[in-house]
Amino acid sequence: MEKYIRNFGGLVASALATMPDREIARAMGIIQATYERDGKIYIFGNGGSLALATHWVSDFNKTVFSRHLTKGVRRFQAIRLPTTEEELTAWANDVGYEMVFAGPLENYMQEIDAVIAISSSGASPNVIKAVEFAQSRHVPVIGLSGFDGGRLNELADAKILIRTEKGAYEVVESVHGTILHLMTRYFKDYFDHALGARNA
Amino acid sequence: MIIVRAPLRMSFVGGGTDLRDFYHMSPGRVISTAIDQYVYVAVNRTPLMKRISVRYSLGEVVDHPRELKNDRVREALLDLGIEHSIEIGTFSHLPGHTGLGSSSAFSVALMKGLHAALGKNIDKHGIAEAACRLEIDLVGDPIGKQDQYAAALGGFNVLEFRPDESVVVDPVMLDYQRRREFENHLLLFFSGIHRKAASVLTEQKANTVRNRETLQAMADSVFEFKDRLMEGDFEGLGLMLQSAWERKKLLSSHVSNSAINGLYEAGISAGAWGGKILGAGGGGCLLLLAPPERQKTIRDTLKKRAAELALHDFQELPVRFAHSGVEVMVNSDHSRMMA
Repeated sequence: MEKYIRNFGGLVASALATMPDREIARAMGIIQATYERDGKIYIFGNGGSLALATHWVSDFNKTVFSRHLTKGVRRFQAIRLPTTEEELTAWANDVGYEMVFAGPLENYMQEIDAVIAISSSGASPNVIKAVEFAQSRHVPVIGLSGFDGGRLNELADAKILIRTEKGAYEVVESVHGTILHLMTRYFKDYFDHALGARNA
Repeated sequence: MIIVRAPLRMSFVGGGTDLRDFYHMSPGRVISTAIDQYVYVAVNRTPLMKRISVRYSLGEVVDHPRELKNDRVREALLDLGIEHSIEIGTFSHLPGHTGLGSSSAFSVALMKGLHAALGKNIDKHGIAEAACRLEIDLVGDPIGKQDQYAAALGGFNVLEFRPDESVVVDPVMLDYQRRREFENHLLLFFSGIHRKAASVLTEQKANTVRNRETLQAMADSVFEFKDRLMEGDFEGLGLMLQSAWERKKLLSSHVSNSAINGLYEAGISAGAWGGKILGAGGGGCLLLLAPPERQKTIRDTLKKRAAELALHDFQELPVRFAHSGVEVMVNSDHSRMMA
């Protein structure tokens, strides 16, 4: 049992060691630019990836600014899609499951926005559909993928691929969680640094 | 109504190697950053009013674009086949001809806005190319390509200008600490002298072949500048700016004049490590790299020197880098829905 536990830890640690620094830096730049132009960030994925997306939205919209919540500092506008179960089921039931992200994205998206797409396989048709829609409007896409990266890694502007064997969802999702937390921490430190003297 | 904005830029080293006469011989290179000062362009289609109305430092109302005095708007409208029923206005916090690339930022925002008005969404590279074509090929300005790319793409980049006209963008990935540290070592002053890049660049362009070695050294120094920046060697960067400025003065007799030299020398003697005139020279903005503890002395010294030189519009401009490039901020056109 202990060996099994250590083995899994080792798998995640070695996947973590391959984090693509430059692509993550590129993603930070996309988010920074989106904040400067007061744009929104849409994030989505299926299953565990959707849970990661929801968790990140809470951290990014609130935790990043936790030291500056009452000071009138302009915050991020991160939105998980779809925003309601009603939209999710309506698009899936009435139009097709491949439209559950692209459909709601089309309601909201403006040119000044950005998109974060999460898919361990990089091949989920509904994720790809939404990414293609964003790119048809030249909205930048940050893609978090695993396995061989799939179509998502080919399309994304910031290609955050955690290369693993096919089907290693637990490993990929663990590292995706780390990267999303890294983004949260980076911008939390950034705003503390930039606003510290006045607002901390 | 469509409202577009594009940022101004500060270039550090490599300016002049983005001229076609140079990069057709070997690749040109520039390291620059967008700053949080913007040129705004508003475009409004007026189906019920046939005339063309353009508002910039002057106002023009004409029946056909070929009658416009503003060369950029005239050539853009003629090229895109927009012959009537449009209003175009431009707005900015800073005056033009400051050496911060405002005229190319205008062209970039204009091309983005006009394409949007036609229901076309062009990506940032495409807009940079369109603005280069407008300014260099259609208007015929003897300028390079760095400003159009800086304004369209935003961020901190090494731009490489290839002989085949392609432009390769290598983003300089600074974290927020290094970025803020660098900002805090920079002082930017508007000299109060407005200058047009074209007057300086015409001579510089004519001298390109003679200046080839100097320009080659400038293009090559971009890598060293980037490395020192990543290491946080701000004194080294200051000294590099100084030697680049010395080299640049050799390119054209118009690059410097006694007023600019007076400000520059005052800055160095007050403790700046180095600096340069932003833009093609002959006026515009003075950029100094200096340790934070000497900045108050430098400010006071320059203010005094500017008064002695009768530079009444001299003023300091706060410096912050910007990530965002050309953006459509508002688009309430119906054509968007059909895109």
